Amino acid sequence: MHYKKFLFILMPAILCCFSSCFQVIEEINVTSNGSGTVTLTVNLSSSKAKVASIMLLDSINGYKVPTKQKIQQEMDEVVVYLKNSPGIGNVTKRVDFVNYIATVSFSFQNISNINNINQRVLKKLKVNAVSNSSYTYNTTSNIFQRNYAHTTQAVLQYNKLKPEVKNVFKEATYTSIYRFDRPVVSMSNPLAKTSKTKRAVMLNTGILGLINGKTNISNKIILSK
Amino acid sequence: MNYTIKCAAASILLSVATIQTEAQDLARRIPSNALAVVTVKGEQLTQLMSVEEFNRTFMGVALIDKLSNKNKGGMNSLDQFGLDPNATYYYYNQSNDSVTYNCLLAPVKSAAQIDEVYKLHGKKFEQNGELRSHYSKDSTGITLWNEKMVLFVLATGNSKYFSRPEVRERLGLLAPDFSAPSYADAVADSSVVVTDVDTVAYGAPADAADIVVVEADSAPQIVIDQPKPKKSAVKSKTKYKKKKSIKKRSGKKPKKKAVVVVPEEDYAVDSTMVATDSGYDNYTPDSSLYKHDDKIKNALAGKWAYAMATASFSKQPDSSILDNKDFVKSVDNKAEMTVWISGAEDLMNTYVPQSIFKGVNFLKGYGSANAKLYLEDKSIRLSTALTVSNEMATVFNKLNKRKLNKKFLNYINEDKMIGYMAYAMDSKAYLEEYPKLVSKMYGIVLNDEINMATDLFSLLLDEEAVSKVLKGDAIFVFNGLSQKEVTYTANEYDEDNFETKEVTKTKQETLPDFLFMTSSEDTRLFDKLITYGIKKNVVIGHEKYFELKMPKSPMTVFFAIKDGIIFFGSDAAEMEQIVNNRYTAKISSIHKKIIGGNNYASYFSAKKLAGKIPVDALASKEKMDKTNKTLSELGDIYLKSLPAKGNTFAGEVSMEIPANQKNALKYIMSLLENLDTKKADQQ
Repeated sequence: MHYKKFLFILMPAILCCFSSCFQVIEEINVTSNGSGTVTLTVNLSSSKAKVASIMLLDSINGYKVPTKQKIQQEMDEVVVYLKNSPGIGNVTKRVDFVNYIATVSFSFQNISNINNINQRVLKKLKVNAVSNSSYTYNTTSNIFQRNYAHTTQAVLQYNKLKPEVKNVFKEATYTSIYRFDRPVVSMSNPLAKTSKTKRAVMLNTGILGLINGKTNISNKIILSK
Repeated sequence: MNYTIKCAAASILLSVATIQTEAQDLARRIPSNALAVVTVKGEQLTQLMSVEEFNRTFMGVALIDKLSNKNKGGMNSLDQFGLDPNATYYYYNQSNDSVTYNCLLAPVKSAAQIDEVYKLHGKKFEQNGELRSHYSKDSTGITLWNEKMVLFVLATGNSKYFSRPEVRERLGLLAPDFSAPSYADAVADSSVVVTDVDTVAYGAPADAADIVVVEADSAPQIVIDQPKPKKSAVKSKTKYKKKKSIKKRSGKKPKKKAVVVVPEEDYAVDSTMVATDSGYDNYTPDSSLYKHDDKIKNALAGKWAYAMATASFSKQPDSSILDNKDFVKSVDNKAEMTVWISGAEDLMNTYVPQSIFKGVNFLKGYGSANAKLYLEDKSIRLSTALTVSNEMATVFNKLNKRKLNKKFLNYINEDKMIGYMAYAMDSKAYLEEYPKLVSKMYGIVLNDEINMATDLFSLLLDEEAVSKVLKGDAIFVFNGLSQKEVTYTANEYDEDNFETKEVTKTKQETLPDFLFMTSSEDTRLFDKLITYGIKKNVVIGHEKYFELKMPKSPMTVFFAIKDGIIFFGSDAAEMEQIVNNRYTAKISSIHKKIIGGNNYASYFSAKKLAGKIPVDALASKEKMDKTNKTLSELGDIYLKSLPAKGNTFAGEVSMEIPANQKNALKYIMSLLENLDTKKADQQ
């Protein structure tokens, strides 16, 4: 998902004093009929002391620091939007202001339901995102596909950031986990690995690689019939 | 023999006197009403670094390469471009309500060499007798030179002047003016700077194609290629009785048709080319209208620049900057560079439109200022001075009455100290004077409101009581960096099915070690706050000192009150030593003098910080090594205020240079060269 963009565009103020890393985790559980659940997590805990001190400020390095209320409000708007999206249900959110971890979970009837959601959610958050990622699941052939194409927009947006904010992304990580109810037969992305049960695939990479296009997270996962 | 020595000595003295006189002659060209003057002493610089040495630096190589147009002219030294590197160079600024001039003035060693530089760059210039002239592309900048001096003048028309309806009408400006026409207050003091038309004796340069300067007996006009506004019937009926080109254009056809008629006294444009006022509303912001206006404005600015520059060559001003006592006083021959500002308030009024601050005068009472840069064998020093009005001086003197509590020195250990910042101000005087200062600043625009607010401020505060609680002196001592283990929550995944779980991990966080001290005569309020803090569980009491709980911060702050001093610090052991009279202080007489003798003082030793930054804080050992190298090469930095002399308040910043550097200029050059190399490596 485009959470990386969400981060480096929406929250530069929060990020701009970090020297530590942060985590973005995308988990998708897909059942054999194409329905499933999504959990998105952004974990800033390793820099919580700095985030806490920044949150006391009004702005930093020219970026406006959002208040707790503002963050809650934005999250509430995302939840409302998701609830009103076709094929989406069971929307929940959790914002931990002690450890600075935010999580949004929801279920979908068909994987195609989540394809446009990210872009719309980002638009809701006043982030001008470019759709470069989609998911498909063919219930007949049991092939799950994550199509991803790097967009130069990401580099352009990144280059606009101040050097101190750019440093934040050097150590930041992005993790995608896809879980299935049947074993994985093969997958196309050599960066990904399968779990012991062979029913989950994980790809863990640095966010900077995604921004500059050096890392491709596309994956074609063939499941057993 | 004696006679010969005397003759030789007399000759040397005469030569020196001649050089001095010539340098002074150039300063004589600077008008006495200049707003700012920058003086650069070439001789001082070449004593620190010879021209030959400079030629070999990266900056020298780049400069020679640029000036000789990639060495087409075969020059290989800075002294081959017509200017004397040993001479004194000037920048000055002169402004009035309609135009601002930025000028560069330098003595010439060889006009022919300057000619050669222009030729090498394909820049054409006009020559009339000894005087050469070159216009910038938009004609607002002009460079004139002869065998004695070179002067560059850049004229910028003031937007406020061009917003006046009568000026707009007279000049035929068409673009809508969205700035509020708050011109009424400016009308009274308006004047076009060109009054001395007879000084326009030199020809306009050939490549100033879009401007021709001609004389006019009356009805001076500006005729410029007119844009064709949509459906706007814009007629041009400009006339002049007599038009005479001052100088033919060496046979070159002008690129653009633009004729500026030099006014004798004033502009009296019989212009129907300007739409009526009521018509302004109908204009849409059309870029061609703005271009049209810019042409007129630039042509006028160019004409002003030309008149101003030629006047400087034809005669010395009646009164020069050397007649300004304040300027003369600010000149120090030992300084490599001096910046002098005639009045901070005047300068702000020139460059910051009053509409921005809506009449609020932040610099009211601030007069002339100067800054002098000294590049010495052992240090770089910048001294500054500001002269204020009697009223302001009285206020500052009251504020500066308090000196730093000398007991603070008993809690400073120079062995571990990396830097400090100390400030002393009389809090009672501040509280008493603050309302008056605010009233002075805002008084013009919000007189009644400010009076009420300041009265209320004084009524609510018992200045005497507050000044006992916080006397107004404080010092922050930076003792280095330390690491502390902190916990955080990370997401981990099991190997079976990559299920995520939150786990608690630890990491090292880099924190500053510090001690802050401030004086208090009456600590009852703090005692009550401590009692309240303990009750609310945000303060933990230790033996004779306290700990402030900050749940989200990895930093622990300890504090104590002892002998009229409130201490805040990051080190519990240090706090314990302080309250139990076991602290071992160590401070040199240099720091004692700096801290105790000034109202403001700060110090930072980059060298001491080198090696104390944890690797974790800089991500890699390589980065840390580089940082340590840079820090160890930097000298100690001092910043201090100096005792006031009359109405003049001064300060000084200085940095010691490393022992392996011969002098400050060479050190700066080496730093710049390092930066340039690093930049090139990154690219």
